[in-house]
Amino acid sequence: MGDGAEPAVQARDVARAFGDVQAVAAASLEVRRGTVTALIGPNGCGKTTLMLMLAGLLRPDSGEIRVEGADPRTDAAAVRDAIGWMPDQLGTWDNVTCAQTLALVGRAYGLARAQARERAATLLDLVHLGEFADRPARVLSRGQKQRLSLARALVNDPAVVLLDEPANGLDPRSRVELRHLVRDLAAHGRAVLISSHVLSELDEMVDDAVFMSKGRTLGDEVAQEVARARARYRIGSMDDAALAADLRAARVEVDDRDGLVVSLSGEEEAAAALAWMIGQGHRIHRFAPAGSALEQTYMAMEEERR
Amino acid sequence: MTAVDEHEGAAPDPHGGGAGASPATASSPAERPGRGNPWRPSLKGIALATRIELLRRRPSPKGRIFYGAAVGSVLVLSGVVAWQASGDLTSTPLELTLILALAAGMLIGPSLSATSINGDSTEGVLAPLQMTRLTAGDLALGKLLAAWAYSLAVLVTTVPVLAYAFSRSGWTVGELAIVLAAIVLAVLVATAIGLAWSALAARAVASVSLAHLTTAFLLVGTLLVYFFIQPLLPSVTQTVTNRWPAFETDEQWQNPEEFIDEVECIEDSWTYTSPRTELAAWILLLNPAVMLAETAPVIDPLTWEEDGRAAPGAFSGIHQAVGSARLGPEEARSYDECAAIASGGIDVGGDSWAQRQQESALMERSPWLGLAVQALLLAGSLVIAIRRLRVPYRTLRGGTRVA
Repeated sequence: MGDGAEPAVQARDVARAFGDVQAVAAASLEVRRGTVTALIGPNGCGKTTLMLMLAGLLRPDSGEIRVEGADPRTDAAAVRDAIGWMPDQLGTWDNVTCAQTLALVGRAYGLARAQARERAATLLDLVHLGEFADRPARVLSRGQKQRLSLARALVNDPAVVLLDEPANGLDPRSRVELRHLVRDLAAHGRAVLISSHVLSELDEMVDDAVFMSKGRTLGDEVAQEVARARARYRIGSMDDAALAADLRAARVEVDDRDGLVVSLSGEEEAAAALAWMIGQGHRIHRFAPAGSALEQTYMAMEEERR
Repeated sequence: MTAVDEHEGAAPDPHGGGAGASPATASSPAERPGRGNPWRPSLKGIALATRIELLRRRPSPKGRIFYGAAVGSVLVLSGVVAWQASGDLTSTPLELTLILALAAGMLIGPSLSATSINGDSTEGVLAPLQMTRLTAGDLALGKLLAAWAYSLAVLVTTVPVLAYAFSRSGWTVGELAIVLAAIVLAVLVATAIGLAWSALAARAVASVSLAHLTTAFLLVGTLLVYFFIQPLLPSVTQTVTNRWPAFETDEQWQNPEEFIDEVECIEDSWTYTSPRTELAAWILLLNPAVMLAETAPVIDPLTWEEDGRAAPGAFSGIHQAVGSARLGPEEARSYDECAAIASGGIDVGGDSWAQRQQESALMERSPWLGLAVQALLLAGSLVIAIRRLRVPYRTLRGGTRVA
């Protein structure tokens, strides 16, 4: 992964105001090739505005942005060309078929007619809308439209993928598929920036997380918080009280306010801890990372701000 | 920052080479389009943008009913007039059909175009297209052409009636072609104005009504301005002196020549002022309907029959009225009936009214000012639409989001 190579997306101290509303005050982030980065923050914290600026649709008031080395201020066309953007707003051409929609967008990206049609078919299969290829977009459900929108973002085979709330309205199965798709995009060397409110889901697919609050991206202290949260394991045993006592006897810090939660340094230590507990004769029926690390961080961050 | 503008000149055709990267790998810099942020339209881009617009604005079943009703009423009205009109030659059915087609176009075109930018934005389908290699120019012209094409549908479907009405109108094919071109242009301009409002106003309700208000101002407002400006115009004061014999008996009336020397000649004179309308007539020429009438053939109100023409119709009526305004106040005519009777003539200067009519009707056609206004509005509207479609946005329509 982006070892030493310049990140695909770089933003430094980006700001943008709408009238007297400062939507983004100071945002900095990097998205490396082959990784998935989450953009997390409460409603109205400026995530969408930041994404619009990264996508080359909105001009920042100040700050620097580079996408694949291009500056949206001077090379907006190159920036847009390198980006696949899935907007938070669902928009489809209601009376145009799904296949036609994607083919037309392909044509708009300069693909030849046959190429565009082929690309449309491939993408429809990718987002499991193949059976709707010849149906107008208005018959699609919300989740299906969401998937069409995702396919549309991939028509130009972008090096950078910006997904604004892609999981909205998706059913559980589609969410799993989205997760696989996003990981797959990263595996093919793309840089993916994804914003979502479904934090437990992001947990499983992101490599990095950028937290945003009131128009500002938060720095390293939050990253550490995430790492700390990642190392918390929840244990369920047939006799929690006995286990807690044993653990404390072994000088392991135990949080037993709500079930048993221990802090471990990583997967290695987790494996060792589990083996030790079973070796001690405890009957463990559950041993897993405690909730969503991102969610915990998010909540902690929110609490701090109150 | 002005860097964007410095680069756009050097930008090659964004729709040219480097079409597609291979599906598996991320595109390399060499395959990207040119530097900068091109806005210029290209033929390919306009064609694609137009196709997209035509496709997605295909009339729904309800829309087809509306079109059917519009076409039907034009056909019925024109048909009835054509059937009712007596005589061999009559231009009224042709003129009516043309006017109705113009009216339909000027209603439908702006209605469609006035929702095509802010409406798309509300629906969230504008920005995804702005992300592609279609330029602001491609999108603006594509939207304009598509709305224009739909607004001309009524004109196209009236062709059979038009052909029949034309056959007895006394017009030549060339004359009809010129008027048709003027109609098509007027509809295009009205559509472009709608597009500009759509780029400026945040909500479709506002832009549609502003578009129709603009059309109405051009059509009716110019007339109102012309009439209400009259008191402000410099005027000419003229004195008319009429003289007539004070005959009293029937005998005197029946044999005026014999008694003319015996009775007194009554003289009456008065002074009146009339505004110099020729100073304000240009306001009328701004009107698109007047512009249209000014492109129609000139019909001589005295000699139309010998000329192989139909009697003067609506268009030549407008031309004559505008011509009269352009000529300015008529010279005062005094009648001296006493002198007329004494010299044996009955009517002195009695033909001057008809001559004035003829002079007005035969004024040179002058659609140029109207055409210039139309060209200006078209260019201005396109500039507004293209500027507002360029991304990255500097400013947004008030109270809207990027979508």
